[in-house]
Amino acid sequence: MMISNGIEDEEKWLAEGIAGIQHNAFYLHRALDANNLREALKFSAQLLSELRTSRLSPHKYYELYMRAFDELRRLEMFFKDEDRHGCSVVDLYELVQHAGNILPRLYLLCTVGSVYIKSKEAPAKDVLKDLVEMCRAVQHPIRGLFLRSYLAQVSRDKLPDIGSEYEGEGDTVMDAVEFVLQNFTEMNKLWVRMQHQGPLREKEKLEKERNELRDLVGKNLHVLSQIEGVDLEIYRDTVLPRVLEQIVNCKDELAQYYLMDCIIQVFPDEYHLQTLEILLGACPQLQPTVDLKTVLSQLMERLSNYASSSPELLPEFLQVEAFSKLSNAIGKVIEAQADMPIVGAITLYVSLLTFTLRVHPDRLDYVDQVLGACVKKLSGKPKLEDSKATKQVVALLSAPLDKYDDIVTALTLSNYPRVMDHLDAGTNKVMAMVIIRSIMKNKTCVSTSDKVEVLFELIKGLIKDLEGISTDELDEEDFNEEQNSVACLMHMLYNDDPEEMLQIICTVWKHIKAGGPKRLPFTVPPLVFSALKLVRRLQGQDGDVAGEEVPATPKKIFQLLNQIIEALSVVPSPELALRLYLQCAEAANDCDLEPVAYEFFTQAFVLYEEEVADSKAQVTAIHLIIGTLQRMNVFGVENRDTLTHKATGYSAKLLKKPDQCRAVYACSHLFWVDDQDGIKDGERVLLCLKRSLRIANAAQQMANVTRGSSGPLTLFVEILNKYLYFFEKGNPQITSSVIQGLIELIKTEMQSDSTTANHASDAFFTSTLRYIQFQKQKGGAMGEKYDPIKL
Amino acid sequence: MPSRRRALLKVIILGDSGYVNKKFSNQYKATIGADFLTKEVQFEDRLFTLQIWDTAGQERFQSLGVAFYRGADCCVLVYDVNVMKSFDNLNNWREEFLIQASPSDPENFPFVVIGNKIDVDGGNSRVVSEKKARAWCASKGNIPYFETSAKEGTNVEDAFQVIAKNALKSGEEEEIYLPDTVDVASSSQQRSTGCEC
Ligand SMILES: Nc1nc2c(ncn2[C@@H]2O[C@H](COP(=O)(O)OP(=O)(O)O)[C@@H](O)[C@H]2O)c(=O)[nH]1
Ligand SMILES: [Mg+2]
Repeated sequence: MMISNGIEDEEKWLAEGIAGIQHNAFYLHRALDANNLREALKFSAQLLSELRTSRLSPHKYYELYMRAFDELRRLEMFFKDEDRHGCSVVDLYELVQHAGNILPRLYLLCTVGSVYIKSKEAPAKDVLKDLVEMCRAVQHPIRGLFLRSYLAQVSRDKLPDIGSEYEGEGDTVMDAVEFVLQNFTEMNKLWVRMQHQGPLREKEKLEKERNELRDLVGKNLHVLSQIEGVDLEIYRDTVLPRVLEQIVNCKDELAQYYLMDCIIQVFPDEYHLQTLEILLGACPQLQPTVDLKTVLSQLMERLSNYASSSPELLPEFLQVEAFSKLSNAIGKVIEAQADMPIVGAITLYVSLLTFTLRVHPDRLDYVDQVLGACVKKLSGKPKLEDSKATKQVVALLSAPLDKYDDIVTALTLSNYPRVMDHLDAGTNKVMAMVIIRSIMKNKTCVSTSDKVEVLFELIKGLIKDLEGISTDELDEEDFNEEQNSVACLMHMLYNDDPEEMLQIICTVWKHIKAGGPKRLPFTVPPLVFSALKLVRRLQGQDGDVAGEEVPATPKKIFQLLNQIIEALSVVPSPELALRLYLQCAEAANDCDLEPVAYEFFTQAFVLYEEEVADSKAQVTAIHLIIGTLQRMNVFGVENRDTLTHKATGYSAKLLKKPDQCRAVYACSHLFWVDDQDGIKDGERVLLCLKRSLRIANAAQQMANVTRGSSGPLTLFVEILNKYLYFFEKGNPQITSSVIQGLIELIKTEMQSDSTTANHASDAFFTSTLRYIQFQKQKGGAMGEKYDPIKL
Repeated sequence: MPSRRRALLKVIILGDSGYVNKKFSNQYKATIGADFLTKEVQFEDRLFTLQIWDTAGQERFQSLGVAFYRGADCCVLVYDVNVMKSFDNLNNWREEFLIQASPSDPENFPFVVIGNKIDVDGGNSRVVSEKKARAWCASKGNIPYFETSAKEGTNVEDAFQVIAKNALKSGEEEEIYLPDTVDVASSSQQRSTGCEC
């Protein structure tokens, strides 16, 4: 209630003030229209009396002020026109001083003063000096600030600046500067003093009001920056020291923060660069609560924008040693503000780093220096828990990555991993992901095992369990994403030199083997493929070179691969391990390493027998085994027999009849390889096919028993197609009469069971017959071969 | 006596401005608070004083609000042709102005739109096309549109001519004020409190 009353009251007071102004303005306009000076002065003084109120907040007071301001512009036009009032400007200047109250008198004086200067009947500097002195009479903060801001506004275009029409004899720029500086100093004093007025309980309201008034004070700095004559020398020797002196001495947090911000924004970059030492020197002298990180960040941002605007500026930055000055100042500020939270300090370093990366991208030593300073600040403290602070550290560590598009550069920064060590496990992982993304985005190749070592040390949060967090607590989706990223990363680790590449693989293996059962299924496959790629590169090189010294040989890599994949069977992840063993076997085949290939098959078979229990997984595995085995040509008769024997054995033992049947007819390919000197054992092919037919029969009978009807004939048609394949390939065991028999068999079966017509198998059979018909008609050798078959 | 009154025209410049300064400076010097300047323009053989209020682009340097909008005769909306966002903001500026200045006839209040900085990078970094800008101006009641470069001085004077012309045509009249018969002067004297100043 209290508050709403307060606001209502204020509205009422403002309305009253406006009414007072409007009322007097009415008579003022009449007086102006009648060219009546006396009346004009009287009503304008009464109008201005409304500004004597103490009951309005700055915002509302400003509204009133603006209304008065607009009226004074008309009055000024009138004053300018001597013909209308017949009074010389010198006399006017005297005349207005008779107004009763101080405040209206001074507003009128400033208004006439502006006309006075414009008339050039007195030197601008004298009038200005007079006005700025007279304004001392108003010591009420809000009234004083607005009055002085009026003075600043009307004198703005009448300063004795160089090139201005008011430029007088001698060093008049200094007069302009002195005038603005004096007004600024007085205004700042009024502004700062305001906080000591009013009861303590209204402190908050007072601070808010003070804050609203800030631009009136800051405006003076803007005016200073617009004075043409303020060259670097005047700025460095007069303007900046005087302004800073006032800022430091006022010992007021709000004023100090705001005015530093103003200085940085209103004066040009070039001046800042040339006066860095002076500006930065003031920082440690400010109140310890001033938010210097924002101030300095803004300064550095301006300077880096400036530097990037033209490459020609770089020598200037170097010449004034901008980096070391900023770096020193930041150190001193952090020291001086002992209570600054860690996030503040790191934010400062982030800004300094951003500056460094933009201005001196080639100076890695600077970058490392900033990171080093940050490590120093962080060391001896517990790991960061403040989320804002960790965010800043992530920003700090991300900056070089963004800049260089190349993690490799960051890897050479000795302080980089040290900063990372100060992160908690969660943030460490966030950062690790940032690093990986950067590598992927820029397609950076990490090409030596040393760098890989550093890299994996940096991302260790993803590679293994860090203390405090176990994999069980993680969100599964996040975890998968992270591990997939690690998997992708492995493709970016590459060196053309096989020796180094092997080193890289060993380094990666060293790190990822500690990853535990959840990570290995993600990380092992890409490493295996990376190693196999290396094997392919070395392929053709003899694996049996004598002596231990010979480094990267396929044989050696295969040994390592064996270990790597074995780790998966411990997980256990037998199906994945089996696939990888088969991949290795194939690679060993291509390297002509029979014992190695045999060993991999053996490993795969052991897994199949002992670990792969799920029937579906078994079907998949067996087809993989058959497929791989079929492509092997390295084996001698004995080894091959052993392996094919096992494979056919597994096939016949699958759980479901149809699966058995298909696996067994697939085995037929193990005995007939279409290559030039591939095995061609027609008899054993036939054996397989016959066996699969028997199984198909059995499946049919089982279906009869369970469902009372024979099942689809698909299996038979599939087998028929296998027969046709080998028939065409010239397997002497597969004759046209054998095929004829099979066709007849299928036909009878179909007729005997018209109830369960199966469209899929019917269509399959029909198109198979159509194929045979087509081959018959084609003529030539193939047509002749097919000729005996009757449909 | 409207002729005499009209000799003073109040113009508000909003948006990405920065070109009313007497001399163009390439280096950025932020404006703080509202910046008040006067500019004389010749129009149809008469001299007018334009009272120009330039605004601070950075919001934190506008701590006292926008009471100075009141009584404006023309409002100039400036955007940077190289920055889409500055164009997108025009609508906000316009609406905000109409609310705060509350002119008597908002439908017909004179605006002028200026696309500035056409010099930058030889026009290559431009992102807002003239067509797009003109279409927007047309949709808001045919606002006059100019493309300028404060740096090169291109079109700036032409723009001010139209600004003066439109401010002059502006239907903005004084708030009609008729005094009570009571003399409030003495009561207003009493309302002031506190010290002597
Ligand atoms: N290249 C170019 N720069 C301009 C042009 N007009 C203004 N500028 C620059 O833009 C900046 C003006 O900033 P301003 O809008 O006054 O900032 P504010 O005072 O914070 O609103 C200055 O750095 C000018 O140099 C122009 O036409 N061309
Ligand atoms: Mg500006």
